Amino acid sequence: MPAPDSRPHLLARRRLRFLGLTPDDAIRAFFGGNAVVAVIVLALISYFLVREGAGFFGQNRRNLEVYRLAGLEFVDHLRAQEEGHTALTRRLSELRLQAFDRLSRGGADAEAAERALVGFDAYADRFGVAIDPLRALGSELGDVATAIKTKFVVNEDRKEERRQLSAEGRTAEAERVEVMPIDFAAAVKPLLAARDRHREVNRALAAELTSLLVAAPAPPVPELRESLERFGAEVRAYVSELPAIERRLETWDQSRPVSLGEALRAFLFGRQWLTASFWQDWYGLLPLLTGSLLVAGVALILAVPLGVGAAIYVNQFASTREQRVVKPAIEFISAFPSVVLGFFGIAVLGEFLRQVSHVPWLDWVPGFPFSERLNVLTAGCLLALIAVPTIFTLAEDALNNVPRALPEASLALGASRLQTTLRIVFPAALSGIISAVLLGLGRVIGETMVVLLCAGNRIAIPDFTQGLGVMVEPVHTMTGIIAQEMGEVVRGSIHYRALFMVGLVLFLLSLGINFLAQRILRRYRLAPA
Amino acid sequence: MNAHPTPFAPRSRQRRLREGLVIAIFRAATYAVLLAGGGVFADILIKGSRTVFQAEAPFINTTFLFSAPESLHVFEWEGRRREMGDREFRAFREREPGAADVRAESFVYSAGGIWPCIAGTLLLVAGAMTLALAVGVSSAVYLSEYARDGRFIRFVRLAILNLAGVPSIVFGLFGFGMFVIFFGWNVSLLAGWFTLAFMVLPVVITASEEALKAVPQGLRAAALALGATRWQTIRTAVLPYALPGILTSSILGIARVAGETAPIMFTAAYVVRDRLPWEVERAVDFLFQGVMALPYHIYVVSSKIPQNEYTERVQYGTAFVFLLLVALVAAASILLRNRLRSRLRW
Amino acid sequence: MPKTAASSSPIVEIRDLDFCYGPVQALHAVNLAIPARQVTALIGPSGCGKSTLLRCLNRMNDLIEGARVVRGSIRIHGIDIHAPEVDVIELRKHVGMVFQKSNPFPKSIYENIAYGLRLQGVRDRARLDAVVEQSLRGAALWDEVKDRLHQSALGLSGGQQQRLCIARTIAVEPEIILMDEPCSALDPVATAKIEELIQELRARYSIVIVTHNMQQAARCSDQTAFFYLGRLIEHAPTRDIFTNPANSQTEAYVSGRFG
Ligand SMILES: Nc1ncnc2c1ncn2[C@@H]1O[C@H](COP(=O)(O)OP(=O)(O)OP(=O)(O)O)[C@@H](O)[C@H]1O
Ligand SMILES: [Mg+2]
Repeated sequence: MPAPDSRPHLLARRRLRFLGLTPDDAIRAFFGGNAVVAVIVLALISYFLVREGAGFFGQNRRNLEVYRLAGLEFVDHLRAQEEGHTALTRRLSELRLQAFDRLSRGGADAEAAERALVGFDAYADRFGVAIDPLRALGSELGDVATAIKTKFVVNEDRKEERRQLSAEGRTAEAERVEVMPIDFAAAVKPLLAARDRHREVNRALAAELTSLLVAAPAPPVPELRESLERFGAEVRAYVSELPAIERRLETWDQSRPVSLGEALRAFLFGRQWLTASFWQDWYGLLPLLTGSLLVAGVALILAVPLGVGAAIYVNQFASTREQRVVKPAIEFISAFPSVVLGFFGIAVLGEFLRQVSHVPWLDWVPGFPFSERLNVLTAGCLLALIAVPTIFTLAEDALNNVPRALPEASLALGASRLQTTLRIVFPAALSGIISAVLLGLGRVIGETMVVLLCAGNRIAIPDFTQGLGVMVEPVHTMTGIIAQEMGEVVRGSIHYRALFMVGLVLFLLSLGINFLAQRILRRYRLAPA
Repeated sequence: MNAHPTPFAPRSRQRRLREGLVIAIFRAATYAVLLAGGGVFADILIKGSRTVFQAEAPFINTTFLFSAPESLHVFEWEGRRREMGDREFRAFREREPGAADVRAESFVYSAGGIWPCIAGTLLLVAGAMTLALAVGVSSAVYLSEYARDGRFIRFVRLAILNLAGVPSIVFGLFGFGMFVIFFGWNVSLLAGWFTLAFMVLPVVITASEEALKAVPQGLRAAALALGATRWQTIRTAVLPYALPGILTSSILGIARVAGETAPIMFTAAYVVRDRLPWEVERAVDFLFQGVMALPYHIYVVSSKIPQNEYTERVQYGTAFVFLLLVALVAAASILLRNRLRSRLRW
Repeated sequence: MPKTAASSSPIVEIRDLDFCYGPVQALHAVNLAIPARQVTALIGPSGCGKSTLLRCLNRMNDLIEGARVVRGSIRIHGIDIHAPEVDVIELRKHVGMVFQKSNPFPKSIYENIAYGLRLQGVRDRARLDAVVEQSLRGAALWDEVKDRLHQSALGLSGGQQQRLCIARTIAVEPEIILMDEPCSALDPVATAKIEELIQELRARYSIVIVTHNMQQAARCSDQTAFFYLGRLIEHAPTRDIFTNPANSQTEAYVSGRFG
């Protein structure tokens, strides 16, 4: 071994340099570069969602503008009137059904029941046909409006063709493509002119309905008296609404511009998602959002008690041996591919739940029995299975992180295990558990395959008037609509962009949930023991 | 109860019972979850095994595992009900003179097998995991070995956490917008790889960081004190001991990559494709081809074709194979990790 | 400076050193000359900055966030080790370190010793063999492990592991060896062996050792420096410190009347 007497080589610097960097610096930079990939990906996601989706509002504005210019909006006022009447007619047939039911239960055979209802039927028929003149007017005007729109669409296509041809340098051919500019103001004249007729039709309708009210038949069964009276009130309300519709038509202004804000509102608060329609396309988020939230709500109602309960049990009461089995088993459930669960829902669970709903002594459950096998409940149950492992694992972690001193102190004061758990450990872990639930919610809202396969895919805001029965309605969701329609849309079309906007909303929603979960976790975290 | 209870008298029976009941409820929740999971697992395993296994040697239905999907034709012939795959049916009609105009009910994808889907899934997973591991491990090395806690690092960590919460369908949209359209890669393996890799990145980073943190500080100090550079320390005294942990935990990422459908729906998956992924003319075509994949195939066969006794075979069979693959991977990961955790107490 | 006692020429000179961990100042105006080829013991109550000073000498503190030398300098052979042209890697090769908790790599004994040389790119098997043997002999471990060189170092006893760490340190031929409470986790027999080893090593190396064990400091050091609350209180030949301390705090500490 040498005895280093000479001056040491402290100064020696034999490291290579490249562009002023030592290899170590370069390696560090390489790793650092990889570390920011997560940031970059997040930025890219936002960028591409916006890039593909942002054009939506301009297009939707144009879409709404054409809706107004071509007079579709005008005709829709008439249609609303028609629909109001249809709803009333439906009430009548419901009432008839009830009456028939009562009669047959009262001992009448079918024929006798029919006979008893003759008067009511005549009344209902008269009520039904009262709308015919209006319906005729509506469909006539509808034809006018669609013609205008069709012409506009054809023209747009031609313009596009022309643009393409001249872009390719085939000017002569481009010239030959005919574009006939539409004078919207002139085109809607027939609509405006029909306002007088509409007023007449309305007067006749009002007179007919009022006279019908007077001539209302005696209720075929006494129990229906109240219902019929309520129906009468509804009809009166309907009649009193008619002038308002006339006023709306009167003040309808074809040239009122559509602002971008309106286009935005039509997306965020639009109550319809209707695409590839011959009449008018709507891109409203609400039906999808409510669908997503409803399914997620059902899933959480099931998953939170199960997941948190299991976490409390495993962390606080289970033996070590039990823990060693249960924890990996639940973690294992989290690896189930969602598409397999979706398939299970279609193949087994949907039918199973439907049959359960038909069990007689269960019909007190809201919504039971139901006939649609794929609905919120089916999807919610499966999503719960997806959410439970997430909630369980995170909640168990939170319970685990409670400083041991706390329960020990409580036990030393003579509290029982359960008291200690519920009064000391659980509150101490509450912020962690809440954030676990939030992350479970994020998981569920972002889940695609299960809802695509099992939620029933009906695009409409579910009927909340039935209270909890809404749980068994089919819905469509934000994730589901993207998965279902993305493959079929034309790139760059308004529909395509609308789907990207839905994606953007989903993205922001998930960021928000995540952010909230982390805030809660950080704000209320106990000081480490 | 006597008049003078001793200080250590047992608590009243009623209270004990009540406590027992509450604990039993918690316990019931635990087992309800396990039961539900087990139920799904068993249903698919039992019904699917009828497709995948068979009574005679080699006991495994090799046709199902190793051939491509075909249409199934069901028809009456000479008073008997016959079921045939597409190719067999065509041959049959040529062979039998009277069979030319036999009326057959057809069910797409219900005959043959799922080999292209298995192959496609394996390829997708392999590529995506390679990418994710490369980026994820490097990222974790930076975060745990180089980075000093500061605003920027906190921002990076926040980004990772948030990335983990992004819904998979949004990754699909993003992959579609960026790789398929903007880069012009079309629906391709490559686009699928990147999309899936970005999706599991947070999982890999978190797992790797945990494994790196588990390597005792003393080893780093020892290496540095012996005159190792930072990179030498990482390469010789940190990574080798973290690697088993990184790999086992990342297997869970594999399960996630393999299990997701939404991200590959518009980026990498085809409903059908005649050729197997390696049957390409030029090597680059390999990267730019779409593939069939098990999860997407399950989606297609469970939602696009009717449900009946003939289609159930392929539906349950595919679900069985897929679930078993993913479950094996996940189980391996969980078991290995638990083993490692208990063994690696430094 | 209090009473100094650098008999032979100092190899390390610390001047007016102020050291901070972020806002916390851990060392205040420390002046200390460490003589070559002698054992210098640093003693003092817990938290007084002994480890901090030790880790300054091979700049292990660079790794701690916010830790920095605020004022003063450390010179080894007259070279300021914080000068920009000093390569910290070379410095650490020159100033080896043994830690409180033995930290062998989970590799074979042989590979543990060869680690430092391999870092420097030495591949020559014969040379590695020679250095491994030499170092293990130097650390008085050769006879105990020569038959199991290729077994895991984690299979050694605590004391053997610590000696292995010393062998690993001397394999890269440092001139100075820093030891931070090398025996605090060991039983008396293992401690005695290490102390014996230190006695042997002092012929060739300059050793700085932190210890909480007064007897140990008295037994195996030539110089002793007493620290209190981040300040160097007294530095003198060990015999003086223990028999005739100049400072009352020192006296209180070495006689055990002190936290
Ligand atoms: N990494 C660090 N960050 C912040 N402060 C530190 C750090 N390390 C040590 N300190 C502080 O610096 C002071 C000196 O610590 P040091 O470890 O040098 O004491 P010590 O004399 O070695 O004590 P012991 O005998 O217990 O090992 C202490 O007050 C300690 O709290
Ligand atoms: Mg110390």
